[in-house]
Amino acid sequence: MKTDARDIPAGGVPPWREALGHSGRRTRAFVWFLLKNILPLYLATEILKQSGLLAWLSGFLAPIMGLWGLPGEAAAVLSAGLLVNLYAATAVAAPLGLSWQQVSVLGLILGIAHSLVVEAAVVRELTQRAWSITLLRLGLGLGAGWLLSLIII
Amino acid sequence: MWEIVLSLGRALIDGLILCGEITLVVAPLMLGYEMAKAYGVFERPWPGVAPVLRRLGLSPGALVPLLAGFFLGLLYGAGILVSVSREQALPARECLALAVFLATCHAVVEDTAIFMLLGGSAFWILGPRLLLAVGITAWLARRGRLPASR
Repeated sequence: MKTDARDIPAGGVPPWREALGHSGRRTRAFVWFLLKNILPLYLATEILKQSGLLAWLSGFLAPIMGLWGLPGEAAAVLSAGLLVNLYAATAVAAPLGLSWQQVSVLGLILGIAHSLVVEAAVVRELTQRAWSITLLRLGLGLGAGWLLSLIII
Repeated sequence: MWEIVLSLGRALIDGLILCGEITLVVAPLMLGYEMAKAYGVFERPWPGVAPVLRRLGLSPGALVPLLAGFFLGLLYGAGILVSVSREQALPARECLALAVFLATCHAVVEDTAIFMLLGGSAFWILGPRLLLAVGITAWLARRGRLPASR
């Protein structure tokens, strides 16, 4: 059998093997992270929905969310995404039965601005202007989402 | 009462399905990244990329942190992002350019994919993000608004 010299480093383990191991470990940790993040929020959304609390709350927020062509319930998706992360946002959004246009608007807003608290800590490692950048993301996200909603909704 | 238990059970199953779908999307991405890293894709200079970086106010040394953030995200890419930009001793204005670009546009594959699972359009989710990130960073670089110090 012929082998490329590059395939066998000094350690004896070929790089692809090592990569497979690394990504396997990362995937396992990631699945745990997902289960811990998604299941509780999915259940909480269901309870909010069943108890009628979500409908009551979204009644107040409907006029505001209407600016983005979104139903009032989308406020819960936005808060989950902005404060926690995108997985939390999907867990809240999935049971709502949104249209593809509404999902796209939410995806654009949250794609630009999400996990603001945690990610501001990372940005701070790069630059001292973490605050301005967080505000920039929020503004850009809401602005871009508004424009998109005008185009597609 | 029974109905509530049933609907919670269904929610649990739906949640598990969502977890499974996201895993099916993200696991290959992680594997792809680890493979690319193992074979040194990020260490070799990429041809033709320097002029593009210069337009964004970045030097070639910023490529690895830029790619790490772009594909992996601020959190998962943070290790590479922060350590490489320190290693390369990127000047503060380049760090700010990096931060502005990546703040608007990171983890593009994963973020887009999980909203596509819910039925969103990749074009409308990713397109404007990319446009905004490139536009704002290039505009800042051109106007020299990124201050030399800080």
